[in-house]
Amino acid sequence: MIEVDRLTKDYGTVVAVRDVSFRVGKGEVVGFLGPNGAGKSTTMRILVGFLGATSGTVRVAGHDIVDDSLEARRAIGYMPESAPLYTEMRVREYLGFRAAVKKVARGERKTAVERAMSLAVVTEMADTVIGHLSKGYRQRVGLADALVANPPLLILDEPTAGLDPNQIREVRRLIRGLGESHTILLSTHILSEVEATCDRAIVIDRGRLVAEGTIAELRARRRADGGVLTVRGDRDQAIAAVEPLTGVRRVRAKPAEGEGLWRLTLALSKGTPDVGPVLEAAIAALVGAGLAVRDAGPSRATLEDVFAELTRAEPEADEEPEGAS
Amino acid sequence: MSGALAIFRRELLGLWVTPLAWVMLVVFLLIQGLSFYSIVVHVSGMTSASIDSGPVQAYFGQSIFLLVSLLLVCPALTMRVFAEERKSGTIEALLTAPVTPAGVVLGKYLATLATYLAMWAPTLLYILILRNTGQIDWRVVGSSYLGVISVGAGYLAVGTLMSAMTQSQLTAFVLTMLVIFGLFILGIGEYVFDAGMLRDLSAHVSVLSQMDEMAKGVVDLRRLVFDGSLVVFPLFVTVRVVDSWRWG
Repeated sequence: MIEVDRLTKDYGTVVAVRDVSFRVGKGEVVGFLGPNGAGKSTTMRILVGFLGATSGTVRVAGHDIVDDSLEARRAIGYMPESAPLYTEMRVREYLGFRAAVKKVARGERKTAVERAMSLAVVTEMADTVIGHLSKGYRQRVGLADALVANPPLLILDEPTAGLDPNQIREVRRLIRGLGESHTILLSTHILSEVEATCDRAIVIDRGRLVAEGTIAELRARRRADGGVLTVRGDRDQAIAAVEPLTGVRRVRAKPAEGEGLWRLTLALSKGTPDVGPVLEAAIAALVGAGLAVRDAGPSRATLEDVFAELTRAEPEADEEPEGAS
Repeated sequence: MSGALAIFRRELLGLWVTPLAWVMLVVFLLIQGLSFYSIVVHVSGMTSASIDSGPVQAYFGQSIFLLVSLLLVCPALTMRVFAEERKSGTIEALLTAPVTPAGVVLGKYLATLATYLAMWAPTLLYILILRNTGQIDWRVVGSSYLGVISVGAGYLAVGTLMSAMTQSQLTAFVLTMLVIFGLFILGIGEYVFDAGMLRDLSAHVSVLSQMDEMAKGVVDLRRLVFDGSLVVFPLFVTVRVVDSWRWG
């Protein structure tokens, strides 16, 4: 549905997007992830034809966004960041206008508007002036705008930015639902959003694509690097039992909830391939030392960890070959 | 072109649903009414008048009020068309819809032109009032309105361009005023410069001479070509400017 090839956007003073390539297949819900200022909005604006790329190509639904711009744009429902709207118009008027601009046939506009309003759950505000709507409703009007011409592809720039937790949950549920019938690319800097709504994520940082894959694949990029055990008994005894084991680099104990319970966190030493055997040995040692083990398991890397890892300032080494060539 | 039509209708709504157009209408009609009143009072005091100096001719051809109202109304009608959309960010939604930049510019421009025409419409009453008391040469009325419409159309195109050049409505207003005023001053050159190219140029662009001629029923095609180019050229540049935002 979207094919991006070697996209670069150079603003002269800053390079906002460098050599980014990715694909979004039909029916996918893809999260476009990155810290603030990573180039997400710039990339999306290029995808929808609002900005021109310095180099590289974008094809949307088989149409080049520059050479065949109108056809490509007809396939897209775009919601810009913070959903700017004409505040003097009523919701129904606005969506009617948007349907007309998006070439929805005259006779079908009314139904298209009603459909979009019910999908985005704004029907009860249909006759309210947009300027009087709350942020949450405006966001949903923006979503209805993206939906009004029933495009196969939705590109949503930070659809949940500035909403309260309840609204965020609603919008996410909405997006999940839409994902069944649309291809969706949504940008966010919040990881849980991607986990909650997307099949796949594309991670971008300082204009570069740093990772791409399913949520599970991204998590797997950072394998479990330790274990967590809950034990009952003496703290020092527990540490003494676990610390000498091979593969354990460091042990930390914190009081856990409950009488005499401790939570032991094991960090693996470098070169230890798997946390499993270490945990087994740790349980045996703890039981042997007369402590009771309540539970044990690998400490799973959250997507947050992966994200932090991926977008941490990397050594500039990987930039040098480019400069040298 | 259905996109341009939709934009045209939205712009009209945007103009008339806010107080701006109404305020402008009141100011405009106040100025016109004052102008008409003083002319009628003046003419009614005259014992004899030539065929060329009736109230219609004076109203369209010799009144400075007409220029003052154009100088206020045209920049005010156009100042927001692009500046506001860029400031509020709605331009992003507009330009990512499947419409061409030309469609966007045309839709917006025609909406300001239609509003401008709507502002002139009530002045037809003046002509009806005059008809009750004397004879009206409808061809003169026709050429007079053709004059104010074609002059205004050019000024509105200039205003549309200025609005696309800045994100500030005030700046757009002032810039448009400056251009209109500049053209007016250039026209004054007709009475300042010695005979020669400069004076010919001044006479050619002089809105005073144009309105004077047209209020007497003289329709000079060269005037209309000049006004037409004052519509086409700024709008063409506006389309290029809108297109260029892509590369900002």
